[in-house]
Amino acid sequence: MTTGSLVEKIETALAEVRVMDAPLAAKLDHVAACVRELSPAFAEAVDRFLDRLRASAAGTGAPKPGDPMPDFLLPDETGRLLGLDAILAEGPVAIVFNRGHWCPYCRINTDAIVAAQNLVADEGRRIVAIMPERQRYSRLLKAESHAGFPILTDTDNGYALALGLVVWVSDEMRAMIAAAGWDIAAYQGNDAWMLPIPATFVVGTDGRITERFVDPDYRKRMAVEDLLAALREAR
Amino acid sequence: MEMHQIRYFLAVSETLNFTRAADQCHVAQPSLTRAIKLLEEELGGDLLRRERKLTHLTEFGRRMLPLLRQCYESAVSAKQLAAAMKSGDVAPLTVALSHTIDMTLLVQPLAELIRALKGIELIFLRGRPGEVAGHLEKGEADLAVAGPLDETWERLESWPLFTEPFDLVVGPDHRLAGHNAVDLAELRGERFLFRSYCEMTEPFVAHLRTHGLADEARHQMVCEQDVLKLIETNLGIGILPRSRGRGPGLARLEVIGLDLKRTVSLYAVSGRQRSCAAATLVKLLRAADWSLVA
Repeated sequence: MTTGSLVEKIETALAEVRVMDAPLAAKLDHVAACVRELSPAFAEAVDRFLDRLRASAAGTGAPKPGDPMPDFLLPDETGRLLGLDAILAEGPVAIVFNRGHWCPYCRINTDAIVAAQNLVADEGRRIVAIMPERQRYSRLLKAESHAGFPILTDTDNGYALALGLVVWVSDEMRAMIAAAGWDIAAYQGNDAWMLPIPATFVVGTDGRITERFVDPDYRKRMAVEDLLAALREAR
Repeated sequence: MEMHQIRYFLAVSETLNFTRAADQCHVAQPSLTRAIKLLEEELGGDLLRRERKLTHLTEFGRRMLPLLRQCYESAVSAKQLAAAMKSGDVAPLTVALSHTIDMTLLVQPLAELIRALKGIELIFLRGRPGEVAGHLEKGEADLAVAGPLDETWERLESWPLFTEPFDLVVGPDHRLAGHNAVDLAELRGERFLFRSYCEMTEPFVAHLRTHGLADEARHQMVCEQDVLKLIETNLGIGILPRSRGRGPGLARLEVIGLDLKRTVSLYAVSGRQRSCAAATLVKLLRAADWSLVA
């Protein structure tokens, strides 16, 4: 199998799940199963990578419900700086960390959230996505998903690290990702190969976290129903 | 990974001594050792080698040190910024620009910076490449935006923003004004406005020489506004980077055979305390979509 074809086949799998009438988790599982079938070597490298992250308790230090959400000031995809304070002044918010515009799971997750974005807005709630990529790439994700919410750039993963959410991509994983044709260094504007754990936090207007989802297994995301319920309950 | 894990690792890498590192971090040594162990487990390799009383970085540790420091400093500045916004206490920010940088490029990021940090006072310096580098080295400027500075100073940190070609710029009444492209050889006999302050002067002159254009008439210029004025009034032609010299009264042509590009970078000094205003402007400039410019 040529390396280029892995990405092409993932694109095919993505197109399939886009029209699937299934919960987010089933769509994510479908793509994960496709990757395993297309490239068992890739899937095994992912398993080893995730085993190590779990063994070293990666992400367990992230803020929990009841904790204050650390403030941020980050540029959105148009270069406009957005701060948490200003966002909370308008109501509770869901803060969604993404790995990048290239990540199939982030793309599916963004699609699923976009499908619920009008409902969220109608209920006076907001969504903000954060990822470590430059605006050129956050714009791509925004355009592809038709997201109505801002996608903020967290340069060098600084805010994600302040939350204990950064992982370093091991050489083995890096080689696989690069071979698939994804140029993380160019997307992020550094060659550190750090990625955030794609966590979701729901934050009330008092700045405290009411619900969170953190899993170093980036193929798992907060169920949209849970996200909606948490946003609805947040004050 | 956690901030404190990296902080402990950075302290050990500086002191090469676990006891002193623990003191520096105000933490008990076993906690520091445990935290670094966990970091090593997550990264999947040993960062430090402990041999009796000697501690040093492994090859993996040396490789990870700058990457972890970069991420750590970014997290520290994220926290400082949040605090600075609340206190409204912001130090002035000095930015050095080379003569060839169009302020238009910086307007939007600066507008955002000023909106976020209301009390911010900005100080701008302009200079030739050597002067821009000097402002950074001497601590007179926090940041700089310029083309290649040709500096080998190891503490000079740079982030390439965009790469752009050089075009011919002529006035509206110039014989070439209606054209899209021109061959370099066709510029024989023209009067060049010589931009001695440009970072690319040397390669440009070398280029002209190889094309037999070294002896063309020229005016020696010291600033971009003067160049643009003389071009506009047809008193000479200029070869300018694409992000410069846009505007009414100016015609821009691609020069076939002119293989000249420059990379505009953001510069700072590594290891120097960066104010939250400086850190924010760095983030704004690095995150920006420069593909719209070049």
